[in-house]
Amino acid sequence: MNTKQNTLTAENRRKTVMSVVLAVICVIYVLPVVTVVINSFKLNTFVKTETFALPTAESSAGFGNFITGMTFGNYPFWKSVLYSAVITILSTVLILICTSMAAWYITRVNSTFCKIVYYLCVFSMVVPFQMVMYTLSKTADKLHLNTPWTIPIVYLGFGAGLAVFMFAGFVKSIPLEIEEAAAIDGCGPLRIFFSVVFPMLRPTMISVGILEIMWIWNDYLLPYLVLDINEYRTIPIHIQYLKGSYGTVDLGATMALILLSIIPVIIFYLTCQKYIIKGVAAGAVKG
Amino acid sequence: MAEVNLRHIVKIYPNTEKKKKDNSKTNLKVTERGVIAVEDFNLDIKDREFIVLVGPSGCGKSTTLRMVAGLESITEGELLIDGKVVNDVDPKDRDIAMVFQSYALYPHMTVYDNIAFPLKLKKVPKEEIDKKVKEAAEILGITEYLGRKPKALSGGQRQRVAIGRAIVREPKVLLMDEPLSNLDAKLRNQMRAEIIKLRKRIDTTFIYVTHDQTEAMTLGDRIVIMKDGVVQQIGTPQEVFDEPANLFVAGFIGVPQMNFFDARLEKEGDKFCVKLADAVFPVDEKTNEKLLANGVSPMDITLGVRPEHISLQEGANTLKGTVEVGEMMGSSIHLHVRSMDQDVIIIAQTVDMDGKHIETVSYGQEISFSFGAKVMHLFDKETGESLTK
Repeated sequence: MNTKQNTLTAENRRKTVMSVVLAVICVIYVLPVVTVVINSFKLNTFVKTETFALPTAESSAGFGNFITGMTFGNYPFWKSVLYSAVITILSTVLILICTSMAAWYITRVNSTFCKIVYYLCVFSMVVPFQMVMYTLSKTADKLHLNTPWTIPIVYLGFGAGLAVFMFAGFVKSIPLEIEEAAAIDGCGPLRIFFSVVFPMLRPTMISVGILEIMWIWNDYLLPYLVLDINEYRTIPIHIQYLKGSYGTVDLGATMALILLSIIPVIIFYLTCQKYIIKGVAAGAVKG
Repeated sequence: MAEVNLRHIVKIYPNTEKKKKDNSKTNLKVTERGVIAVEDFNLDIKDREFIVLVGPSGCGKSTTLRMVAGLESITEGELLIDGKVVNDVDPKDRDIAMVFQSYALYPHMTVYDNIAFPLKLKKVPKEEIDKKVKEAAEILGITEYLGRKPKALSGGQRQRVAIGRAIVREPKVLLMDEPLSNLDAKLRNQMRAEIIKLRKRIDTTFIYVTHDQTEAMTLGDRIVIMKDGVVQQIGTPQEVFDEPANLFVAGFIGVPQMNFFDARLEKEGDKFCVKLADAVFPVDEKTNEKLLANGVSPMDITLGVRPEHISLQEGANTLKGTVEVGEMMGSSIHLHVRSMDQDVIIIAQTVDMDGKHIETVSYGQEISFSFGAKVMHLFDKETGESLTK
């Protein structure tokens, strides 16, 4: 009896310790977001002195920070939002269409060339961006890829690795007979891809799409190096300009803009998160 | 509706290290050029004929079908559909339809869209598509599932949809690649009967691939039996059953398998007889004539007798054996008898013509059995070929 009780107590103790540890990890994860949220409603001076305190009547700035952030400087905030949206949408669409086609071709045409392309794609995932960024900015300038309308081509290059890898895994699990049936039913290769394979790729399409959107929307370094910053600013670049001369920073406004910029991604992620798991698992099972 | 002619069709897969390893499992020929999957295949399929390609796994039957479909390239030879050489014609332009073993339905489309898909690609007017899809669904009994997706259907229903998608186009040739293999035994029997009915309704040329000889016998107008990429025999089900061209066909067609004995063919004057153990079996007139015509001389042969053609009887000129196993099948019992150092299967009836139960045989019992002259199949012991071809 006693032994049983002891075991139960030990079990309970272990569970309690685990709960505490996991709770601490959760807090560590959520803390930056919470800090951004509470500080975006505080006056600039209080952000530095009472960083983790909730806004009080004295420290609250209401929506003042948001208004300051959006109207600050001579570059309109809506333009940054527009450029961020254009770059994100164009790049994601380009990545999804091109890499899904490439992955289909690589998987179905089992030649040495295809294998080399596939391994190059996989290899590109492990090359850090910092290694290629200077040569890239030079090349992008020369090829006139330095506008929001052309930068998606650069994103296609960087996003292709992971996307091809994920799509190839999923295409392998699609039975070849379905495509053969389509060929007999009257489809050419393009029709087979767009009428039969493309709709079947939907789960992977959504998960790749979510990953790419989150990456491109939040990306700071690539547009900063490639785009003409005086003319085109994405949201992360625009936020950086809140840093005034002599190192003064309007922290309240910065937090407000950060909050504004992450809201769309959070909403998007929450609505689509079930597809991420589905998509990642879909390719892995039969790969 | 069309004639299909296969003339000296050859399929060679180029050698790769992987193929070489895989090939150790089969007896396919390997040459400098590669693995020969199909060798010199010749067949003239008549308009509206139902041809069944049958053989064990890896015999080249599916490869042949896929060459007709245009899914595999033809290494050598000519393939004609309706008199036109179609070797280099795309599958979509051959006017054929195919039913796959794995159904190959489009998972993102409803049953209706699956069936309508080939018609949409042909740009058939909407009203006509609707009419044809509903007609096909009616024939196959899937009208109530038209709005469902394939994942919400059972195996049998999915196969009906696949057949619906194939027949709705009214193709010149309907190809079926082991369409019933994924179904359970009961459903398979049911679908087999449905295919026979369907064949009467849609009246087109069928090429059907299966490894199941029952399907081949029940469905085909003619059967093509293949082994290791080579055609062994082409004939009607009755022909291949009654006059198998070689030992392989004799063993492959018929359940349970034909019994084979090492025997001696003797000739006394103009009359041939078969000596087996102490018994002597004279051959019948027709066989005798064929043997004479083929110029066969006395030799060691393999004698084949089907289990259902052996009867239990006492007396002279019989063979003796001991019953080892009896498999009760209801109306008959399959006896596994040890005789002449080998297993012999005999099918014995359990009920006579008046419905009276015949005395059953017990295990370990010594029995005598014999067979008539007309049911003997004589094969060359060296080559395995029939001596009466």
